[in-house]
Amino acid sequence: MIPLRVRALCSDEIEDDFLVRLSAHGQCSTEYDREIHPHADGGTCFLLCEGIVRLPDLALKDCSGDVLLVEPSRNIAHRLIRASSPHNTFLITEQCDQLCVMCSQPPKKHHVDLFPTFIQAALLAPKDAVIGISGGEPTLYKEQLFEMIAEVHRNRPDIQFHVLTNAQHFTEDDLTFLNQPWVKNVLWAIPVYSDRAEVHDEIVGKEGALERLKVSFTILMRSPVRVELRTVLLDNNVETLPSLARFLTRHLRHAEFWSIMQLESIGYARMNWDSVFFDHSKDFNQIAFAINKSVEMGLQIYLYNFPLCTVPAGYRDYAVPSISDWKTKYLDECQGCSIKSSCGGFFEWYDHQRGFAGIVAQ
Amino acid sequence: MIDFPLKFREIATDRFVFANDAGDQFFGDEKFLDRYATENLTNRDWGFLNENGLAATDLKSFNGVSFLRRYALRMAQAQTTNYLILVPTLRCDLACSYCQVSRVNKKAQGYDWNDETLSHVLRYLDGLETKRIKIEFQGGEPTLRVDLLERIAGHCRKQFDSCEFIVCTNLQDLRPDVLGFLDHEDVFVSTSLDGDWTAHQEHRTKSKGRTEEFFNNIQKLVDRSPKGKVSALPTIDPTGDANLEDLISAYSSLGLNSIYLRPVNYQGFARKTFSSSRDAFESWNKLYFSFIDTLIERANENSELMVEFYFTLCLKRFLHAGEDHHVDLRNPNYFGKDYLVIDYDGAFYPTDESRMLTRIGQVDLSVGHVTKGLDFSKLEQLNESAINSFHEECIHCPYQSCCGIDLVDDLSRYGRTDIIKSESWFCKRHLAIFDRIASDLSSDSPKARIAYAKWLGVPKGTIERGLGAP
Repeated sequence: MIPLRVRALCSDEIEDDFLVRLSAHGQCSTEYDREIHPHADGGTCFLLCEGIVRLPDLALKDCSGDVLLVEPSRNIAHRLIRASSPHNTFLITEQCDQLCVMCSQPPKKHHVDLFPTFIQAALLAPKDAVIGISGGEPTLYKEQLFEMIAEVHRNRPDIQFHVLTNAQHFTEDDLTFLNQPWVKNVLWAIPVYSDRAEVHDEIVGKEGALERLKVSFTILMRSPVRVELRTVLLDNNVETLPSLARFLTRHLRHAEFWSIMQLESIGYARMNWDSVFFDHSKDFNQIAFAINKSVEMGLQIYLYNFPLCTVPAGYRDYAVPSISDWKTKYLDECQGCSIKSSCGGFFEWYDHQRGFAGIVAQ
Repeated sequence: MIDFPLKFREIATDRFVFANDAGDQFFGDEKFLDRYATENLTNRDWGFLNENGLAATDLKSFNGVSFLRRYALRMAQAQTTNYLILVPTLRCDLACSYCQVSRVNKKAQGYDWNDETLSHVLRYLDGLETKRIKIEFQGGEPTLRVDLLERIAGHCRKQFDSCEFIVCTNLQDLRPDVLGFLDHEDVFVSTSLDGDWTAHQEHRTKSKGRTEEFFNNIQKLVDRSPKGKVSALPTIDPTGDANLEDLISAYSSLGLNSIYLRPVNYQGFARKTFSSSRDAFESWNKLYFSFIDTLIERANENSELMVEFYFTLCLKRFLHAGEDHHVDLRNPNYFGKDYLVIDYDGAFYPTDESRMLTRIGQVDLSVGHVTKGLDFSKLEQLNESAINSFHEECIHCPYQSCCGIDLVDDLSRYGRTDIIKSESWFCKRHLAIFDRIASDLSSDSPKARIAYAKWLGVPKGTIERGLGAP
């Protein structure tokens, strides 16, 4: 696993939190750039006016171009942007108005506003970076979120955003923002767990959620925004996948793609695993139907977090490597598997005792 | 509750296809039609329509906006020119009996781009706003001027983020420089293959030696290329006795799994040689659907995949309107927007067929010249008729949303565009195809749907039977 939070040992004189971009090549074009050097005791270090910062966990070759938020008081640094990775995500808030049974990042009450830091970090990102925006629910701070996207676009039109949102908060007024042609820089990833209100609402722990989601869709459908549809596969929505497939291919075929996602065993999903996990390696029928329908109707579809050997051979092309690099692992069973190189593997916290029955090296 | 107005057509005894303007279809019986036509829909009927997004409480509701969005997507037209057909030479080393362009002899002079035309074409490419370009090299035989193909491709690779080149070639002469060009990853090859040796030789290669050349070359190219790089299509004389089994074997033995079965295009030489093809609708239909039947059988027998390109395109358009990548079947089909032809002499044409019509002197459809730019007033004049949305016959047709419009075909066959549409080749041909699709999708038998699923790329099993009204 690649750590997103690392130790940052700062000289005593350094007191305030600060943002820094690491440069191994001495190319310091902004006030945030610091040249990094190997440290005699291991890891990497860089200098500030007030003193030295040592990053014992980061090798020089792995962190050039990274944007770090350093907290000297806690001796830690957050790797907001890893220059070598396509998986960079800003956690806008830990608050959420839904309480999903399988939430991987259970919400918290407290909110820390880091928008100015995120804007600056995005401005320092490598060319053409795609930055994930997640939470909690980012649109709880919709105004600041839109302003952040606009501010970054004004200065760095090459940057794209991938916003994961429950789409419970879009209103007609948002069309002014959403109808700007450049907002195509944003892909809005929106979960729809079922076309049946009782199923969807139960999963997200909020009555009326599907109805509100449909209100948001009527707004988004009136703008040229790019939408991705997401469905986490669960024990209680698998039966409604066929009707969901009919619903999505009828109404939301203009979405860029639909991803059906297998569960991530962390947060509430770990807690509720036995009641929410659906082992598709034992029964793939409903998923096969969803894929068939999507192909028939011309909606691009993917399976996320589906190890290849758990998917029937004809459907494997749809199972894409989707687990972020920093939390991927493979099992002992995977040794010698001939399709390992194209398989996305498992979440770092995947527990095989409670996992898929059908793991077989190919 | 409001419904989205329905058009309908009887496709079998007591079975009707219904369709709205967004291109959604379903099937129903005469009783449903009666209730609909007399405004006596039951609550159950309304429930069916509403649940399937075919009715709405009002146009601002989810179903309402969704319908409008689908309608808008269907009508939306690409606005950026990103697809060019370039004709660097009109010369050809074959003289096929149904050549559509009245090609000129290989040794003729003055039928290639000169330096000035080339530099104007390059300048024209520089002025395009698109980041992705698709270029089809037509002829004549474009590989006679592989030097020009290299110049254009090299220029495009620098100019655009992504490029795709399609060389429409007779594959008679795979010289090292031609092969070198075709080997590029972004180059695709489209050729003609009329079936087995006898069929191909009769209309195209004429001599044994030339036929052998062709078959050796296509085999060589297929063997050294990734799958999908080489495609072929036959031209069929609807009044002849084409052997379809041989045709399929010829394609599948080369690993090609798509056939675009085209009737002789009523253009160029073909106009003289195959004059009876103008009205050979019945015989074409018979042949075409027997071919489709054969492919359905194959699919049910689990034989190697074989797709008829055009039927599958129509099927896709039936299932989800807006599949607009094929420029001969779409609506609106405005000229001079997203694709354009530049002829050997630098003249612009809106389509490849229009250059042929002009060449045989029937009507001048050129729309400007690469040195002077597009003739917008002429384009505007043509585009007035390039839409079926308001045509007095099409507005009653349930297939309007999946059908298209082809001005040039009408002009070519009838010399005018204000014909009785339902009597035209274009209309009759597409009605027959869409009727067949509607009938198969609404049928109890899954046989055709099993084949349809395969042709659409569905991994396993079949597609659902079409939606049925109560």
